[in-house]
This record gives sequence, C-alpha cells and structure tokens, in this order.
Amino acid sequence: MTETLFIGLSLGSILLLIALGLTITYGAMGVINMAHGELVMIGAYTTVLASLHLGLNMFFALPLAFVVTAAVGLAIERVVVRRLYGRIIDTLLATWGVAIVLQQLVRLDLGLTFFGIDIPGLGPGLQNVSIPRVLAGSGSVFGIPIQPYRTFILGVTILLTALTWFLLYRTSLGSQVRAIMRNPQMAAACGIDVRRISAITFAYGSGLAGVAGVLLAGFRTVQPAMGATVVVDGFFVVVVGGVGSLLGTVLSAGLLGQINGIVAVLTNDILARAVVFGVVILLILWKPRGLFAFKGR
Amino acid sequence: MGAPTALMTDGLGVSFGAFKAVDTFSMVVEEGELRVVLGPNGAGKTTLMDLISGKTQSTSGRVVLFGQDVTNWPEHRIARAGIGRKFQIPSIFRELTVRQNLEVAASEEVGVWRNLRLGLRRREAAKIDDIVELAGLEDVEQRRAGDLSHGQMQWLELGMLIAQDAKVILLDEPTAGMTQAETRKTSEIVNRLKGEHTMLVVEHDMSFVRAIAEKITVMHMGKLLAQGTIEQIENNQAVRDAYLGSGGIH
Amino acid sequence: MTSLNRHTVAEWIAYGLFIVFVLALPLFWDDPFGLNRWARYLVYGMLGAAIALSWGYAGILNLGQGLFFGLGAYMTAMSLKLASWTSLQQGSDTPVPDFMLWNAQPGAPTDLCCIVPGSWVWIPFQEQWFGVAMSVVAPVVVAGLLSWALFRLRVSGVYVAIVTLALVLLVRLLVIDAQPITNGFNGLTDLGYLTILGHEIDPFENDSYYLIAVSLVVVLLAMRWLVATRAGLVLQSTRDDANRARYLGYDVTAYQVFFFTVSAGVAGFAGMLFVVVSDFASPSFMEIGFSIGMVVWAAVGGRGSLLGACIGAIAISVLETSASESEIFQEAWRLIVGLAFVIVVLFLPRGLAGLARDAVDRLPLGRAGAAPAGVAGKPAE
Repeated sequence: MTETLFIGLSLGSILLLIALGLTITYGAMGVINMAHGELVMIGAYTTVLASLHLGLNMFFALPLAFVVTAAVGLAIERVVVRRLYGRIIDTLLATWGVAIVLQQLVRLDLGLTFFGIDIPGLGPGLQNVSIPRVLAGSGSVFGIPIQPYRTFILGVTILLTALTWFLLYRTSLGSQVRAIMRNPQMAAACGIDVRRISAITFAYGSGLAGVAGVLLAGFRTVQPAMGATVVVDGFFVVVVGGVGSLLGTVLSAGLLGQINGIVAVLTNDILARAVVFGVVILLILWKPRGLFAFKGR
Repeated sequence: MGAPTALMTDGLGVSFGAFKAVDTFSMVVEEGELRVVLGPNGAGKTTLMDLISGKTQSTSGRVVLFGQDVTNWPEHRIARAGIGRKFQIPSIFRELTVRQNLEVAASEEVGVWRNLRLGLRRREAAKIDDIVELAGLEDVEQRRAGDLSHGQMQWLELGMLIAQDAKVILLDEPTAGMTQAETRKTSEIVNRLKGEHTMLVVEHDMSFVRAIAEKITVMHMGKLLAQGTIEQIENNQAVRDAYLGSGGIH
Repeated sequence: MTSLNRHTVAEWIAYGLFIVFVLALPLFWDDPFGLNRWARYLVYGMLGAAIALSWGYAGILNLGQGLFFGLGAYMTAMSLKLASWTSLQQGSDTPVPDFMLWNAQPGAPTDLCCIVPGSWVWIPFQEQWFGVAMSVVAPVVVAGLLSWALFRLRVSGVYVAIVTLALVLLVRLLVIDAQPITNGFNGLTDLGYLTILGHEIDPFENDSYYLIAVSLVVVLLAMRWLVATRAGLVLQSTRDDANRARYLGYDVTAYQVFFFTVSAGVAGFAGMLFVVVSDFASPSFMEIGFSIGMVVWAAVGGRGSLLGACIGAIAISVLETSASESEIFQEAWRLIVGLAFVIVVLFLPRGLAGLARDAVDRLPLGRAGAAPAGVAGKPAE
C-alpha cells in the first residue's frame, strides 16, 4: 500500500514538475503554450549535449537547461506570444506551430543537416542519459524500498514549487505578476511594465520546463517527439487544479498522480492513463474553473 | 388602473452568501406602462433585471409575466414568454451585418429544425424594414455590426428587442456613454415604443428619466423604497436620505 | 437588392471550379496510385470543412475531431475486416479476424461470438450496411451526448478544446487496451472490399475515387446550405454573443449540439471513406497530432469558409506528399508547415479564404458590391 502511494507520489511529482511552468504561463498570462512540451524536450536534449560534449552530469545540466529553455521561451514570447495576449485560442494554435518548428530543428540538427553536418546527440534518433551514480540503484528506508532517483525528483519538485511560491507571493516581482493575472489593464495603469514582466514570467515558466526535461531524461528515452504527451498531461493538471492557483496545481498533480498510480497497480499503465483522462473530463464538466480557482470576475 | 398586469414580482429575492442583493421585492407593472427603476449604486437594479430575465436564479419569491409564473426558467424560455432585455454594454452580434442581426431577432421560429430553411417570411422582412427605419440604421444596414458607432449599436440592440416582439422590454441604462444628441434620439425611440411595449428602464440620467418617465420605482439596498410620479419621488424624504450618501438625485 | 453582390458570385464561381476540378480529375490523369492518394486528400478536405463548420461558424474549437473520424473508420474497417479473405478462411461458419485467433485462449471456440471476450460486439458488423451506417451513427451518438453535456453546462472556449482532447486520447487508449477485439496498436489491416449494390469498390480503381469525390461535393454543398439557412445564421449569432441569442429566445445549447454533432457525423463519414481507399484503420487516427492537424488545415485555408478550409486541407496534404520524396525534405517541409502556421495565426487570422475575399474586393469591377461581414472576419476568442 505504501509502495503504491509512493508510485503515485512519484508520478504526481513529475506531473507537478511539468505543470509548474504551465501554471505560470497559462495561469498568470492566459497563454496556452503548446510548445511547453518542446521546452521540456529541449531541457532533455541539453542534458544529452552537456554530457556528450561538455562531460557535465545531470546536476550541472539542471541550471544549464534552465538558462537555455528560459532563453528559448523568451524568444517565443518576444516573437509570437506577445502579439497574442488576450486571444487564448490563438496562443494555443500559434504555439502548436512553434512546437513543430522546435521539434524539426532538433530533428534537422538545427538545420545543419542541409549542409551535411550532424551534431552528435541531436537528430531524429533516440538518446539516452545515464543518471549520476549517487542516484542510481535502489535502497530502502524502514523496510520501504526507495529509489534514490525518484526521491531526487520529488525533492527537486518540492524545492522548485517552494521557490515559485516564494517568487509569486513574497517578492515585488511576484505581486506585479499577480496583479497582471487579475487585470492587465489595471496593472498597466498602476505603472507596472506589463510587457517586461510578462516576458520575464514567460521565461521563468519556460525555464521550469527545461528543468523538468533534465529530470525526465533520467528515466525516459530522449527523442524529438517526447514533448507532445507531456504538454497534454501538464494542461490537464493545471486546468483541473484551477487556472492561476499554485496550490490547486499541486493538489491536482497529487490527485491525478495517485489515481494513475493506483489504477496502474490494479490494471495496467494504459488503462491508468485512460482513467486519468476520464477523471479530468468529469472534473472539468463538474467544475469548469478548476477545483481551486480564485474567484475572478 | 384597469390595464392588465404585464409583469409582477412577488417577494422576489436573491442572496449571495450573507448579502441580500434583492430582498423581498414586490412590484406590479401594467401593460403598456413605462416604469423607471432608480436607486443608488449597488441598490440591486441590475440584479433585479437578472432575476426577471433568468440570468440569475432567485432564492425566494416569484416572477409572473401576464399571469404566467416564469420564476427561474431558463433565459431562452423567459425570452419566448415575452421578455426582452437590453444590456448596459451593447450586446449585439458583431460579426453579422446589421440586417442579419435583426433577422436573427425577428425570426418567428426558435427551434433548430424549423429554422433549417433559407430566407425570411415576407412578414418578417417587412417588420425588419420598419425597424431599420425606426432605429435610423438605413445607411448601415449591410455593414458589419461590430463597426457601428456606440450609439448605433445601442439603437440596433433596441431594434432587435422590437423585432423580437418582446411584450416587456428591460432596458439597463440605455443612454450610458451616449452623447447628448444620441441620448435625445434614444428617448425619441423609447417614447415611440411607449404604449405598444411595456418597459422597465434602469437609468441614472435624470434628464433622460424626465423625458420618458411616467412612474418611478426607487430601490435601496435590494428593497423597494418608494414608488410614484417624478414629483412625488423628488419630494420623498426617504429617497432623499437614501441618496445622501451618493450626492442626491441629479 | 444587394443579395447578389460580388462576394456571392465569386463564392459560387469558386465552388463551381472546385467541383468541376474534383470530378474531372480522373479524365485527364490516368494514374491509379495518384488518384488513390488524391482520394485521401479529398477525405482530408472533408475533415477540414467539418472543422470550419464547428470552429468558424459555431466558435467551438474541437481538438478531438479525430475521435469521430476514428470511430467512423473503425466501424467500417471492422465490417471490411470480417469480409476479408483471411477472416473467411479460419475454418468457421462465421468470419473470424486473424488477430482474434492470435489473441484467443487455447481451446476457445473459433467463432465470432466467443473466440475472445467481447468479440460478440462485432457480430452485426458481418453486414456491411451495418458497419457503414455505424460509421455515422456512432460518432453522432457520442458527439450528441458529449456536446449536450458540455453545452448544457455552458462549458466554452478553451475548456471545450481540452475536454475534446482528453476524450480522443481516452478513447485511443481504450482502443489500444482492447487489443483482443481491436488489434490494439496495430489497428485493422488486410481488409476486404466495400460492396455497393453487388459492386466491389477497389481502392485503386476510378470508382473509389468517384465515390469519394461525389461524397465530398454532396457533403460540402449540404454544409454550405446548412450555414446559409436561418439556423446557420442563428448559429453564427450564438458564436458572437451566446447570451444575446438566449435573450432573443433561442435555446443556444440546442444549436450548438446540433452543429457540433453534424460536424462529428461528417468526420465519421470521412473516416468511413478513408478506410475504403486506404485499406486500414489505426489508433493513430486518434493521436493528438492528427486532430490538431485538421485545425491547422482549417486555419490555413480559412476557418470562416467551408470551401477555404477544404482547399487548405487538400493543398497542405498535396505539398506534404510532394515534399516527402526524400526524408530530409519531409522534415524540412514539416518545419515550413509549422512556420507557416505561426504566420497564419499571427497575420492571417482569416486564412487563404480571407486573402481571396480581399482580392475580390479589389477587382476593378464597375458595380461596387456592398461587403457584408458574413463569417469570414471572425478572429478567434
């Protein structure tokens, strides 16, 4: 039983990790960033490239991926998303296009394939990342088997969630972000530089995706299409939790992770995912604004 | 007296949590009457309209329309029963032409299957022609409604209520944001409708109220405070007290 | 009267040219494989138009249209699977698909009723008319129930997109999980021929092309009629302002359910046709990429125009295939599609149909037709 709960906790922490960035970009800015999964993918590839070309292990890849994906996110915001604020469905469509572009850039070695150049680690093939020896294997605490890597993911997730909470609720930047969340026009009227803050927020959310990608690379095959399923899971978590509610996202990730874990133990992984989707549909029908939506207008 | 009752609210109320937005509100509006509802901000005027038109579900009391209890019916059924509503912010179909807006409003059929046909009935088309003229929209008939001026949008929305053949028309601040000239034209339109349609108007602009009103109901904190002619209301002590906080009726 | 303005005329000319082109194609192009490929593009065209109906005219973005396409495809594919030569040769009175045999427990009777648990659901599909009918009926029933639940609860905008997306993924997993009766990941291949009035439709003969071309023309014109009716006008009004429509006495839910369901029925019909020419059905029909791809077609062609969305779908598919001659070009082509899509959303919200419309406006014709707004100019939510 505890083992099942721990599986669910582990699944939930991965969901939360992915959703954390989305709850920032979607919740705070009303942008459905379909390229979020590709940012995760880029984070994973950063891990691959860092170990292949720089000999850096995963611990170093974490901050590196954050910087890389934050920069990519910033570019997406500047070029595409900025023109679409307030047109939520259009952000979904445009960033879907961005997602395809990013995937193809990885497949085509950033376009160098055309010149006959291959970058090892990129391209359409599959990549694998070895996790640091400290985190490999398995151990047990009080008779409960513990996988160090899963525990590490859980730890990083908790850390990032706490950091995000702190940034949002305990810094002046955060209060500006929350002001924009509630009412961008009013925020602008109060002297908040909405464009600058939005860009920073989007970059931060994107950076979180990169970190998620590094950790995902430790137990999933890294390949250009890996982001597609990831982004959908993330959105379900955010929507069920309630747009703009960090607490909601945390609880909803936990809930969906546990459901997934329990059903997977009882039946199989495929049915478990199907049940999660079913729960998501019912929850949205029941509470379209999410379980923990703040009372907006 | 003597005219049949068009609209009656009987002990109508709704509370949001502990806050009673409308509280045991009873009122009778006779057929063909034009009733103005006044009240300071937050008195519950718009909520009253929401309750009558079905946008908000009441928690107590009844809404009776020509003897038919329509309390808490879905909006479209209340509309079919004869209530038309104009919103404070013009609510029109922005991507359709002015004429198409009126066509949607004028349709005698509301069901999907019965509307699976092309073209208008002659009677409907004639009605639309009249309304285009009444609302002064001849020149913009084929224009996209979203491109109209603010005043034209308001008149279009009024025109849609007429096309709908609403027996009781609810107008929520029909002159909000209008220039003086536009306000004057709006009061002309409203005065032309007097008698044919029963109207319930929420309005702040006293010059507009004086131009159209016969009988006034004053709301305060969700309750009925006073009722009477303009003179009676302006001289009513309770009304003056209620308005003190917001600077009096002006 | 302005009813016969230049846009109306231009639109009918466009429809006429398109119909003539589609129907006459086999006359001057004698390439069975090429025509088979074109038949598939025409099916995509039907899907694009169906998206335009729900998205452009009703403002309902359905990101799970692949569900209805997939349902339609599986219903017919199973019927054709039972009619295939291998299914008939399993030594039983009733046809038994080969994959069921592989999945059967040792000693299970070789009969459709009970070879694997649940296989009996396919018994009526031995009749082809039943499978074909179910290709439309099943999507219509599912879409009707789904949209009724959604729109009665006034779920709108992004939430409709997310629910439809979740549902298509859910059903895809169920189909994969039900391996013994659906062949799971592998889908249904090695199908028999569809027989219409005793005539077998060979995917690589002209009659399969004509079946699809004529179906497309009929469906396209029927949908065009539908949006021109008063109900179609009311539908567009609900897109612009659902509450206004309610206060005019319209049951908005009924209109949304009706058109969502029609769109789904068309997608199911398209799924049926696709199976006839492509000879397979697979869970890949219900992957996210395909459903969003349909939206891309409609967006590029013009979500506010049925014909525009249809042509958008065909054009993108044609270019996609011509680019796929070599693998590297195929990847580069996808890159271009992605970029083009970003550009369309950013700068051409009305798609190619919008461009065409503006071009008609600039034609130096004497008679200046008043420009009705119609449906073309609708920006997204």
